[in-house]
Amino acid sequence: MNPIWLILMLLVPIGGALLVAFGKERNAYRDAYFASIAALVPAIAALFEFDFSHAGAFQGLWSVEWLQPLGLKLSIGVDSVALLLILLSVLLGPVCVMASKTAITENRKLYYAWLLVLQAAMVGVFISRDLLLFYTCFEFTLLPMFILIRMFGSTNRVAASTKFFLYTFTGSLVTLAGLVYVVKFAAERNGSWSLDIETLTTAAAFMSPTEQALVLGAMLAGFAVKVPLFPFHTWLPLAHTEAPTAGSVILAGVLLKLGTYGIFRFAIPMAPAAFVEYAPMIAVLSVIGIIYAGLICWVQDDIKKLVAYSSVSHLGFCVLGLTALNATGLSGSVLYMLSHGFSTGGLFLMIGYMYERYHTRDMRRVGGLASKMPVWATFMVFFAMASVGLPGLNGFPSELLCLISAFQADAGWVAAGEPGAAGVTLGPWYAIFAGTGMVIAAMYLLIMVGRICFGPLTEPDGHHAHEVLPNDLCVREIVTLLPLAAGCLIFGLFPGLLLDSIQEPVNQTVRLVENAQELSGPRPGAGPDAGYLYIEETGAEGATP
Amino acid sequence: MITHLLSGTFLPSVLASAPGADTAQAASIAHGPKWVLLIPFLALLAACLNGVYAAMGNKTKLPAWTTVALLAVSFFATVAMATGFDGNAYTVKAFDWIQVHGDASSFVANFSFYVDTLTIYWMLFVTGLATLIALYASEYMSHDVGVSYSRFFAGFALFVFSMSCLVMGDNLVMLYLGWEGVGLCSYLLIGYYYKKPAAVAAAKKAFIVNRVGDLGLALGLYLVFVHFGTVEYAALFSDEKLLGYLDAAKVGAFDQIPAIAEWIALLLMVGAFGKSAQFPLYVWLPDAMEGPTPVSALIHAATMVTAGVYLIARFYPVFLISEHALPIVAWIGTITALLAATIGMAQFDIKRIMAYSTVSQLGYMFAGLGVLTPTGGAYHVLTHAFFKALLFLCCGAVMHGFAGQLDLRKLSGLRRVKGWGVVTFGMLVGCLNLAGVPFTAGYFSKDTILAEAFVTPGASLIGWILLLTAGLTAYYTFRVFFRVFMGPTEFHPGDEHHDDHGDDGDDHAHDDHGHGDKGGFHPHAPGWAINAVLATLTIASLAASGLYFVGSGEHHGTETKHYADTMVSSSTASYHSPYSEHAFHAGDHGDSHAADDHADPNAVQAGVGPRGTITEPLLLFGQDPHKVMYYVSGVVGVIGIGLAWCFHLWGRTEAATCRMDSLARLFGPIPRWAENKWYVDEFYNAAIRVPLRIASHLMHWFDKLVIDGIVNLAGMAPRMFGWMVRPSQSGVLQGYAAGMVGGLAMLLVVILLVVRLGGGS
Amino acid sequence: MTPMLTLGVSEYALPASVLAPYLFVSAAMFAIGLIGFLTRKNLIIMFLCTELMFQAAGLALIAFGRHHLGEDGQTFVIFVLCVAAAEAAMALALVVLLFRRRETLSAEAWKELKG
Repeated sequence: MNPIWLILMLLVPIGGALLVAFGKERNAYRDAYFASIAALVPAIAALFEFDFSHAGAFQGLWSVEWLQPLGLKLSIGVDSVALLLILLSVLLGPVCVMASKTAITENRKLYYAWLLVLQAAMVGVFISRDLLLFYTCFEFTLLPMFILIRMFGSTNRVAASTKFFLYTFTGSLVTLAGLVYVVKFAAERNGSWSLDIETLTTAAAFMSPTEQALVLGAMLAGFAVKVPLFPFHTWLPLAHTEAPTAGSVILAGVLLKLGTYGIFRFAIPMAPAAFVEYAPMIAVLSVIGIIYAGLICWVQDDIKKLVAYSSVSHLGFCVLGLTALNATGLSGSVLYMLSHGFSTGGLFLMIGYMYERYHTRDMRRVGGLASKMPVWATFMVFFAMASVGLPGLNGFPSELLCLISAFQADAGWVAAGEPGAAGVTLGPWYAIFAGTGMVIAAMYLLIMVGRICFGPLTEPDGHHAHEVLPNDLCVREIVTLLPLAAGCLIFGLFPGLLLDSIQEPVNQTVRLVENAQELSGPRPGAGPDAGYLYIEETGAEGATP
Repeated sequence: MITHLLSGTFLPSVLASAPGADTAQAASIAHGPKWVLLIPFLALLAACLNGVYAAMGNKTKLPAWTTVALLAVSFFATVAMATGFDGNAYTVKAFDWIQVHGDASSFVANFSFYVDTLTIYWMLFVTGLATLIALYASEYMSHDVGVSYSRFFAGFALFVFSMSCLVMGDNLVMLYLGWEGVGLCSYLLIGYYYKKPAAVAAAKKAFIVNRVGDLGLALGLYLVFVHFGTVEYAALFSDEKLLGYLDAAKVGAFDQIPAIAEWIALLLMVGAFGKSAQFPLYVWLPDAMEGPTPVSALIHAATMVTAGVYLIARFYPVFLISEHALPIVAWIGTITALLAATIGMAQFDIKRIMAYSTVSQLGYMFAGLGVLTPTGGAYHVLTHAFFKALLFLCCGAVMHGFAGQLDLRKLSGLRRVKGWGVVTFGMLVGCLNLAGVPFTAGYFSKDTILAEAFVTPGASLIGWILLLTAGLTAYYTFRVFFRVFMGPTEFHPGDEHHDDHGDDGDDHAHDDHGHGDKGGFHPHAPGWAINAVLATLTIASLAASGLYFVGSGEHHGTETKHYADTMVSSSTASYHSPYSEHAFHAGDHGDSHAADDHADPNAVQAGVGPRGTITEPLLLFGQDPHKVMYYVSGVVGVIGIGLAWCFHLWGRTEAATCRMDSLARLFGPIPRWAENKWYVDEFYNAAIRVPLRIASHLMHWFDKLVIDGIVNLAGMAPRMFGWMVRPSQSGVLQGYAAGMVGGLAMLLVVILLVVRLGGGS
Repeated sequence: MTPMLTLGVSEYALPASVLAPYLFVSAAMFAIGLIGFLTRKNLIIMFLCTELMFQAAGLALIAFGRHHLGEDGQTFVIFVLCVAAAEAAMALALVVLLFRRRETLSAEAWKELKG
């Protein structure tokens, strides 16, 4: 695949941002709109050119040397998981731009420029094959989000943006420390410095269990905050409630996935033994998150906070799948990453459109809107059902696979020897408790839908109609919702489209962990430096630049 | 990826790492004709078309006609499927759905359908009733023509699609899809009148209580996959492990079966309880009456609620291998039957009475499954579907015609009102079936279950309770009929009349034999659609009793007694209880050992079965219960009807009161408790909802104060540190100098000490 | 020439007994300077005291230089004198500017510059 598409996917939004920033204020929307549509072109080209029969191999590889003695070079490449996540980010670009047309009335240049920069940064994270680009873009996503929340958010935006930035940033710094340790370790082993992710992954599995544990802890510090995993989630409700609609959509749709992607790409391959050992602990945190966040959703009156906590709950399933470390779990988790963006993005858009008309998110003051906004209510019920995990929509296959994987990851329950469990022992209780999350999800989502859509019409006092927008959704708003709704439906009925594509990277990751396990020897009682000799690379067809 | 889409999903997938997972299934089961896919997908098409109509703002009855037409074609396709069935089960694949192929194991759940006799049996009445009820609804809902009308039929058609997926699905995940789909449609349709808070709350309750059951089903699904390695029926029911367990179970050797098998059955059972409204998950069904009557008839009487029975029937082998699952099913079914009957006796809303009777009859079906007669359970499903739908539709006609009036204290003697003849006759036939009057279809099906209860060891108490419940059923059923349709003619309109005659509720200027209309209210007699459907259902209910006499004989190697038996016996639900055979032959020949001569492939040895070994068959009044039950249940039914006549018709002069009222006072507060549903809802609220809500609030506060507090504290720490250190910047120049000097002095001291201790510089 | 550089130094080395008075004087000068800096309020007097401390340090450096027979001490004194000169220029400039602001040479006038 030609790497030019990846480079273009990075450069077009930046070009668009510059165009918006140096153009006129009143053209800001138009310029941003065209730039985001233009960014779709290289994405679709990349999709066509990607060779899905070798989905696990990194394609579109390209690199340029920067400082050779220090091993600093810029390299890019994607496998299917990264490509699909990029497509999600690129798809959300025009959706967010279009959704903001009437919501943002001042400082439009600033807004659209930073939105486009954010998109470029997200793409950068997924196309990076070296640590420098990855970390730079990873951190760089914080800045536009900070500005978007700070300048265009609701009443409590200052606190929300500050907390979001500082919390995530601190975590990422600890991650950086962990990653730098891996770099140093790899340099000592290989004799030369390199930041290439492939090299680092190969070398990192040779770290001693203690080292791996520390590196894992460091990496998780940043990724867990971003996911967010249970005790580190408190920035999320605040950031989501105060962010503008597009900000929430991107935050929920893609930025949270940076954390889980980081775990999938870095934490698991680079600290496999430690991950297997600590997976139950992480799984416990994720299950607690599922139930805890779900119950908190139930008592919320602020509808946006409700959906924000529901994100915490849903991503608990995602992480549960990751911790199971078998093919089902990792597939389910990656599928969850992809499908959550559609359903929760849709919910945030619905809330945003409602907010534009009523200027309140409190369900005690506004409700029963199906009488006045039937199209809106239909979409709302649709996205709520996708979020609940109704079979036929995209929440279901991912949830199903994640829960099954938790059962599978206990050798005692499996009938005919399942060697591929990679040694993680989770067991039935994880899935049973996580399953109650399904019931809780039904509770809070249906209660939300029941209050906001159904029942007698309640409008806040002194409410009058919007000067530009009609009562129900206008065409532009429906156009933003259609791709998301279509995605929910199509990926619910044909998850094979995604599952087949991600199968190989998932299997490769499982094999990598298994190999590391086998050669690490029996862990309990063994000495600290027992038995990791070499890693046999099976089936990894990625070319090392 | 586009080429991948074209090749990968609609044709067999060609992944290199999939070690023939598809082909293994393909080898063991035949592939059926593709036109079978029409059955579910036509309903889906109807739903989509209705959605389009809603979007386009259609104001005619086109949605109804589209739905009826497509569902009728679906029904004929089902009939074709039934007549063309040669006895060998087959699957038909629509497309690949969820497939994960790891190195070690694969999870495969395709969008495909499995057809055997059980499927055909169920689909016949599902599609048939769906078509008829759609026709009924075309008139019943005609007040709402417009977007709401389209919305109704969209939900209706989507429901039929989901139900088809549930019944026809070839793996547990398809069943789950249909399961949740019917739950969704039930939610949308119960909440159809979404402006009414009661309807919205009822819809929510239904979905959430169902979800609790769904959790059990989901967990059972996961365990099935984890233990047997597959969720597809064809592979599962021919799995050697399962067959091994079955052999052990059939002779009562449960210690050879691992605990996980027990858990699978128990979890699936919980799912069945949720969907089929058994105790303790039945509380949603009576509230579901907030939905329009066609919805109540189709979903909450005939189809969705039978999904649980279907689940247990389909997975009967899995239930057999569990020692405790079927007994629990039997007992829960019995308790539910009795409980619901007692509540139904004390209600005044006729739809609600019918709802409780549905719960009660579902209890019968579960009890039937639990006492080792899947045939009885399935047979009762069929008969119940017809007569319960009939009963609900008659109630609906009453509601439609009397502006929403459903209180039996406000309606009486409707049989004499012009234009209500069909309704009255339909109601009578339905009530006779429900009460189990001899020679009705309901009589035969109930008998099968009752008889088995007395034949199976440990279940005779179940039999007596069910017999008592049969009496109560007959009583409350005819209470409705005698109050509403017999006696002096009098009626008060409800709150939903569309002609503006004003609401003059309590004006009792009536006479015994006059027309009894209040202030000029004219009841709206049912039109041709409603009458046609009611007539069809009445005839079908009467004809259904004939099903008891056809289909007996030898079918595919087993001896079957009637139509339902035939259908069930060649499917995965097939099981003939050895206790039943034992008693049957004892009754025949008066000799329990004659059973040994009879070559029944299911009974290893007469009297040896899952509930232990018995040497003497269990008899009722010294006779084979199958024979005796004909008389006993008949007598019980007649007693019930007699009591109803005595208390509710004999000497009744007005709609509101009857002889029962004075009698009820003798029982003190008990009738009131029964009327308040034994306060079960209130109990759930207090025991589950309130504590959970308190817990949630506590967690919310914990989140805000503790977790967020720690985070905020971490943010405050640098600030506090700075605040503590600030005084050192005093602004006094000499102070800084003094600090420097002090620091320097300390440094010198340290160096000197180090030098001295280190021994040399 | 050479005798001065190679041999003469050993002849002119300062014995320890003679070293002590130099150090006492240097310490006394330093202490006086320090106490003066800490107690006086007049900016110019404070500056004079710092100069005194400089000279004390220089004296000590020379004494030790002679004692250890190296040229380091003397070299360093040259450094110190340069630094002192530069610092004198800077400090006096600052003092002049500060005086212009507050019309007083008292250090107390600047107590507001606290954290």
